[in-house]
Amino acid sequence: MEGFETIIFEKKGQLALITLNRPRVLNIYNVRMRDELYEVLSAIESDSDVHVAIIRGAGEKAFCAGADLSEFLSAPAPTFARHVRWHRDVWGLFLNLPQPVIGALHGYVFGSGIEMAMCCDIRIASEDAVFGLPEVALGFIPAAGATQTVPRAVGPGHALDLLLTGRRVGAQEALAMRLVNRVVPRNDLQVEAEKLAEKIAGYDQGAVRKLKQAVSRGLDLPVGSHP
Amino acid sequence: MNSIVKLECDRGLAVIRLEQDPPGPGLADRLAAICDELNYNTDIRAAVITGSGPVFCGDAATAHGAQAAFSLSTPVASLNCPVIAAINGDAIGIGLELALACDIRIAAGMAHFSLPEIEGGLIPFDGATQRLPRLVGRARAIELMLTGEVITADEALRIGLVSRVVPAEDVLNVALEMGREMAGKASWALRYCKEAVYKGLDRTLAQGLQLEGDLYFLLHTTEDRVEGVKSFKEKRKPEFKGK
Repeated sequence: MEGFETIIFEKKGQLALITLNRPRVLNIYNVRMRDELYEVLSAIESDSDVHVAIIRGAGEKAFCAGADLSEFLSAPAPTFARHVRWHRDVWGLFLNLPQPVIGALHGYVFGSGIEMAMCCDIRIASEDAVFGLPEVALGFIPAAGATQTVPRAVGPGHALDLLLTGRRVGAQEALAMRLVNRVVPRNDLQVEAEKLAEKIAGYDQGAVRKLKQAVSRGLDLPVGSHP
Repeated sequence: MNSIVKLECDRGLAVIRLEQDPPGPGLADRLAAICDELNYNTDIRAAVITGSGPVFCGDAATAHGAQAAFSLSTPVASLNCPVIAAINGDAIGIGLELALACDIRIAAGMAHFSLPEIEGGLIPFDGATQRLPRLVGRARAIELMLTGEVITADEALRIGLVSRVVPAEDVLNVALEMGREMAGKASWALRYCKEAVYKGLDRTLAQGLQLEGDLYFLLHTTEDRVEGVKSFKEKRKPEFKGK
């Protein structure tokens, strides 16, 4: 994975480490990052040596503070933009990865940042993490799945409270509404994420992958046995 | 008739005040007419629903028995703008079901919640069997409906039935403030956001993502999106027009 500008991709034993790497601009998501993320996720998808992936943000201030708005309004016509969205469906790829993905979240987790976090299977936040979905205040709606992934994680009530108001919530409130699985001190974030990843990586990978599939695909299906 | 439900609209915010307790079919008819009217009025960008007096909205089953075949939640759930419930007091039975049809619930600290229908040999008849499990999870929902248990506002907050609890005297003001703020936002983005969430939850994730994408790109055609992004770049407050 040479020549990447926005992402660092490393393999550490059976773990894949994806680091969003635009720390000077709070790791905001741009077209380049989309393309690089697509390449990285495609590589992980077909790599049976990767048991678990971790996604995190470089620098002290943010996991990812949203989308790079400087690229907005220069985009192609909505018809063509829609075509491109599904032609290289980075979010579909992310959500359907066979391996578990752990999000290690610190600092600003806004907009696309929350959306990337929600593509993960397990989310660990540091105490300084702040979450928010500012899209509606800017005249549009999220487009990387937040209107679907957030309600499925926290229910429609909390989801609309975040989406319609754009209000920010801290790590503890995010934990209470189950937006994240656990909160750890800032200094422990990477260690905790890797510890958890190592633990899962140590299990039978057939079972791990089937388990992930049973849960994620099962949520789209009726349970079937009712009174 | 009009005194059963009061409607006031100011700068894009509709305030619906229920003035009959317990609610009856007349209130339901009037509420349905109001919601219909609001859905046709694209100047309305947000709504607040509140009760008057000590209760938000009371228990119709006790008052009207099994004959009470009217719905408050259906017209409210059909509103395409965001709806905030200012739960000024107890929300029992159909009153709680009405709150469940709103998008955001703000409750008074002294408010109580319950679905007591089971005690009268009935089940909730205005949407709670469907909306409550989707909101707080199946386990807590079925427990509340099978026991008729009364819970406090703090417990409602803990289980995610309401999103915030404030002193009773502040409930309406907090809701109005939130409503006014929403009324200043891009109205099509608010409506599409709500549509994507609710319709998406009835579909598979992949289908929901398609819906979100379609609505997102449809918003590319609005002036408000251009204004939103421009104002961010120019570091000023956006002026949305609902276009």
